[in-house]
Amino acid sequence: MQFVTDLIAYRELMAVLAWKNIALRYKQSFMGILWAVLKPVVLVLIFMVLRSFVGIESGPIPYPVLTYSALTLWIFFQESASEGVTSVVGNANLIRKIYFPREVFPLTSVITKLLELSINLCILAALMAWYGIGPTWQVLWVPLLVLYAILAALTISFIGAALNVYYRDVSTALPVLLSLVMYMSPVIYPLALVKEKLLVEQAASHWSNLIYTLFTLNPLAGLIDAFQNVTLRGLPPDAGAVLPGLIFTLALLPFSYLFFKRAESYFADVI
Amino acid sequence: MAIIEVDHVTKEFQLGQLTSLKQAALNTARRLTGRPVEERKPFKALDDISFSVEEGEVLGIIGHNGAGKSTLLKLLANISKPTRGSVRVHGKVAPLIEVGAGLVGDLTGRENIYLNGSILGISKAEINRKFDDIVAFAELEEFIDTPIKRYSSGMQVRLGFSIATSVESDILIVDEVLAVGDLAFQRKCMDRIDSVIREKRSTVLLVTHNIRHVERICSRAILMDHGQLRSDGEPNLVCNEFYQLSEETVRRHHAEAHKGRHETTGDLELVEAQVLDADGLPTETIPCDAPVTIRLVYEAHAAIDRPVFGVGIQTPDFLNIATTHSVPEQTTLHLAPGRHEVRFSFARFPLMPGVYCIRTGVAAGNLYTTLFYAESVATVRVEPREIIHAESLREGFIPMEGNWSILPTDTPSPSLAAQAA
Repeated sequence: MQFVTDLIAYRELMAVLAWKNIALRYKQSFMGILWAVLKPVVLVLIFMVLRSFVGIESGPIPYPVLTYSALTLWIFFQESASEGVTSVVGNANLIRKIYFPREVFPLTSVITKLLELSINLCILAALMAWYGIGPTWQVLWVPLLVLYAILAALTISFIGAALNVYYRDVSTALPVLLSLVMYMSPVIYPLALVKEKLLVEQAASHWSNLIYTLFTLNPLAGLIDAFQNVTLRGLPPDAGAVLPGLIFTLALLPFSYLFFKRAESYFADVI
Repeated sequence: MAIIEVDHVTKEFQLGQLTSLKQAALNTARRLTGRPVEERKPFKALDDISFSVEEGEVLGIIGHNGAGKSTLLKLLANISKPTRGSVRVHGKVAPLIEVGAGLVGDLTGRENIYLNGSILGISKAEINRKFDDIVAFAELEEFIDTPIKRYSSGMQVRLGFSIATSVESDILIVDEVLAVGDLAFQRKCMDRIDSVIREKRSTVLLVTHNIRHVERICSRAILMDHGQLRSDGEPNLVCNEFYQLSEETVRRHHAEAHKGRHETTGDLELVEAQVLDADGLPTETIPCDAPVTIRLVYEAHAAIDRPVFGVGIQTPDFLNIATTHSVPEQTTLHLAPGRHEVRFSFARFPLMPGVYCIRTGVAAGNLYTTLFYAESVATVRVEPREIIHAESLREGFIPMEGNWSILPTDTPSPSLAAQAA
């Protein structure tokens, strides 16, 4: 509950810090905010080339818009988490001098990324229009899915940021870990492919169902699939794919937060 | 009610680096095999400190480097937590621990005011209201839309100070920030802090090496020494104890190594320097007003024509108080190679109690070319003749002699008479 009251008390500070992050990133850059769009576009192109060699079954939805939709959410999650983890160490000068609840830093990282997310959502809408995919009422799920992505990113950010103060190895290891998670999430391929292999074809014999559940424990697996469902397919989220990851995230988040709050008192001494 | 309560607070730090993977593995192996683990000794930055501050008090915290002053302030500002004991602060704290912490070079002055204001806990509406004041105090009207990386360091500090002092708070914590900016701005900062004290009746904690500020504005002072509270009370008394402590340190350093400034052309060398008391015996302490002789032995390596000897008195912080030359005796003097003794005698040593350093030099010829110059060749401690409260406090260097006259007067002063007419 303390968390929620802090959130309200420090909303202005977080807004100003987020504005600072954005202003600083684009102040002395020629392309400015265009960089936010360039990253997913380049990745989509790479995936398209890759797909022409390997052949990934993507169903009736055109592949570029399918991966763009996946990348929109994935990049938001990945950048929120990695900037959240480095946010505390990155603000060492403030931590040593001024007190305010330290969770402001990971939270600000997420808020900062909301801007780029909304730009990418606009591009996605434009792509959908180009390919003639009309939105349905299911689109109303999007805010909830974004909230879920935020919670997943914060689960990693809190514990990662606290550990990073003591061992900088965390920020070095994180990009490797996150790219691993990306390949384990349905970004390049649709979740339907995994589902069919495991649940219908039972490719791993009697282990198949267990492996599928483990696969969906990764919050991003259910999340990306649900996002593609509500934006492109006009379907509600697939509860079977979403729930394992959601329960896992909601169970870990309190521990991650409490760990952060316990470590917080020593940040100024160790950093 | 006490606004700040510090109760048996100890703060320890681990010395050295964090344990690496290798060290951790070695320690685990040692633990498993039952051998003693390599433990690092904690360093006590604060050692069982207790005190409380009442509302409206202006507390000065003084002490040498590493005495634990800044650690204490960090605990009070909630930046760090005590290892043992408790710190209770009832009210909003505005820390001026480092002015300009969180100023961002790429942002303009205007943007930085909003950013830094929010970091210090000022709401946006309040910043809007105070914006012009902040800019005016920092004297930055012309440059407010320039990125502050183009500012001079003085301008940045002015901006930082101006933002930080506009925070409305119950407790203001000031750490060494007044040592920045030019003299005029330092004065302005002191006036601002004075007005905070007088008008807003805030509680102020001031950490500084500038003892004069403490004596001037504090209502109470604390002297810290190696993490412990050495004394607590009247600013004048506490500051005086600090002076004595530092003077002892200066004398000890001087005894350990001859490290004062030292220049010579090689024609002449100082062999011995002593302070002699009334009986002609070498001494380090003399009572106030006593006769004193400074004895110097020089060795000349070559013949020196018409030398001039100089002797001067300095404070330990290199303020020259008095200097004298042997010019009138110069005309006939001719120094043959060999040792020569030079004496300068005071009928009575003219300075107030404290520690003083002796400097000396030799020049020669029509152009007074300097052949030798050295500082801190000897130190002398002047002690008060009687332990009278007023005399034992340093309130200057030179005793003023003269006569007081306090008489009733019947005739009104001329200006009053003119007004009446």
